[in-house]
Amino acid sequence: MSIASKTPLTAGTTRLISLSNVMPWAFAALFLLCLPFVFQSSSALTIMNQMAITIVFALSYNMLLGQGGMLSFGHAVYMGLGGFFAMHAMNMVEDGLWLPLPFLPIVGGLFGMVFAFLIGSFSTRRAGTVFAMISLGVGELIAACSVIIVVFFGGEEGISGDRTMGPPVFGYEFLTQQEVYYLTVVWLLVAALLMYLFSRTPIGRIANAVRDNEERAEFLGYSQRNVRWISFCASGFFAGVAGSLFAINFEILTEENLNLATSGSILLITFIGGAGFFVGPIIGAVVFTLLQTVLGLHTELWALYLGILFVACVMFFPSGFAGLIAMHRRPLALGKLNLLIKPYLKVAIPAITSVLSLAAILEILFHKRHGYGGDHEMHLYGIAFDSGGYQAVAFATIIAAISLFLVSRVLPEIREAWDNANHAEDRA
Amino acid sequence: MSAPAIELRNLEKSFGLAKIIQGVNLQIAKGERHAVIGPNGAGKSTLFNLITGRFAPTSGGVFLHGEDVTGLKPFEINRRGLSRSFQITNIFPNMTVFENIRCGLLWTMGYRYSFWHMIGRQLDVTEKADGILARINLSSRRNELAGTLAYAEQRALEIGITIAGGADIILLDEPCAGMSHSETDLIVDLIRNVTEDKTLLIVEHDMGVIFDLADKISVLVYGEVIESDTPDVVRASAKVKEAYLGASLEEEAV
Repeated sequence: MSIASKTPLTAGTTRLISLSNVMPWAFAALFLLCLPFVFQSSSALTIMNQMAITIVFALSYNMLLGQGGMLSFGHAVYMGLGGFFAMHAMNMVEDGLWLPLPFLPIVGGLFGMVFAFLIGSFSTRRAGTVFAMISLGVGELIAACSVIIVVFFGGEEGISGDRTMGPPVFGYEFLTQQEVYYLTVVWLLVAALLMYLFSRTPIGRIANAVRDNEERAEFLGYSQRNVRWISFCASGFFAGVAGSLFAINFEILTEENLNLATSGSILLITFIGGAGFFVGPIIGAVVFTLLQTVLGLHTELWALYLGILFVACVMFFPSGFAGLIAMHRRPLALGKLNLLIKPYLKVAIPAITSVLSLAAILEILFHKRHGYGGDHEMHLYGIAFDSGGYQAVAFATIIAAISLFLVSRVLPEIREAWDNANHAEDRA
Repeated sequence: MSAPAIELRNLEKSFGLAKIIQGVNLQIAKGERHAVIGPNGAGKSTLFNLITGRFAPTSGGVFLHGEDVTGLKPFEINRRGLSRSFQITNIFPNMTVFENIRCGLLWTMGYRYSFWHMIGRQLDVTEKADGILARINLSSRRNELAGTLAYAEQRALEIGITIAGGADIILLDEPCAGMSHSETDLIVDLIRNVTEDKTLLIVEHDMGVIFDLADKISVLVYGEVIESDTPDVVRASAKVKEAYLGASLEEEAV
């Protein structure tokens, strides 16, 4: 499902639906439907909902970054505005407006699209730095407005609503987390499918062309501005859908939902996942939400680890996690993936140990500095020890040094195996 | 007599104080293969950019089939049936060869900004794109990324994209630049083949190509057309000889 657009030789098939196209979606749907039976706790459902919302948001962001070549620093504006309008609509439902909850995301989506239409009318004239700067400016502007226009944005405490006041749908009133989960998941599937199909339409392909070479596209009859504008509006719609899902899930929206920090994290999420691939933002959103929620429970330093991951991603695997996976397609096609298993297993233990011990150094230093008034008893990886002295740091440093040394010893072997696995003929 | 396919009237272009194009008048009849030659820096590429809307002229006008297109944007001029290639290869490097050609087809086949067609299901587009791939001998490269092609193949693809939309006026900017003799022969055959019944305006340095291909030749020197006639007349022209000889003497002096 990469957007690097591999058109198979069967392109143009007359069959309406081919099995290989439907299978991934069917699997995804089945998987998502079964998840609540595995993770039943309310907090797990909340995390999964949050993940689904982030996926929709990240996919909509990638319509700009990955597919249209637009680097936006203010995409939270469209999610936030969509969410705020959805929340107001939710409150109007309370006053008697007939709007079943499952249709609320359409309202938010349309408002997201309207604002994308207005702002896109001037921001999409040029790509590159000009677009990026305008998106930053607009992001700051709307975030500032949210504290000024209190009637609409609710000031610092934001606005809240009650999702259960609407007319019941088939008897569901969306009182429980589980019902909300299924609502969110259906919207996730619908939105993801529509965004995927968008990338297969003429405008979606031309958005790629404009991304690659806007001048050439102009000489083929396409106005680069209109192409970007249309992608921008579509992206705004799905961002608004994500915002509405947020409104439904958390029943509160604040300035935080449209500020630059949120815009920044969605860029980070999309990049870590891999902007060049349709599944990239999905992977990014899952990884990010897990880091934020699960890791966030255990350490206050989670944002630091996320930052390190981002920098490592930019430096060592700029095509993101999806790119790392895609790199293995050639060895797989050559039937040589097995050559890589042994070196990968060999590097796994020292690599994991180095990551854990490096993190331990950071954690111990952090604990030492911020531990409660002289309380230096620390628990890490199930070990209790004293973080006050130098012994703990020294121990972690030694472990880190040894494991990093072991990693460096295995690297040449991996490189060799990689070369072998990527060449058709065996090399002695 | 019908209006010429391309007509330039007193076309001028200055960049700051530098006058690059100084009052060019030129008429290119429908179906003609017309070449522009001239020493380096004569303004050939600028002339192309003025005709195709990449630059707006300082003064004067550009007319396609009698219609004034001066100052229109490239995509507006393209929609009026003019398509061009570039001196420096200008393709979509991260898309497949097939998709490069398809991008050249979509507008004229009426798909425009459609988001309600599934592109893979449009058999007419696929067939036509494959037909063009066959004509430019790149069928075997169909599913490779355009950026990974060899230079000569990229040049052929560049021409393929240019002609894909079925424009009746084709402008080629140095299609043979940087090619070996055998590659040049192939490209010239290709150009002859794909511009059948079309109006062609070509800039090229390879004189063999020019005299082989062109019905008429214009000689551009310092932003002015000093001669515009059949190859035989141009070959015999004293003015042209002087301009070229002067240029080559200057080069030797350096």
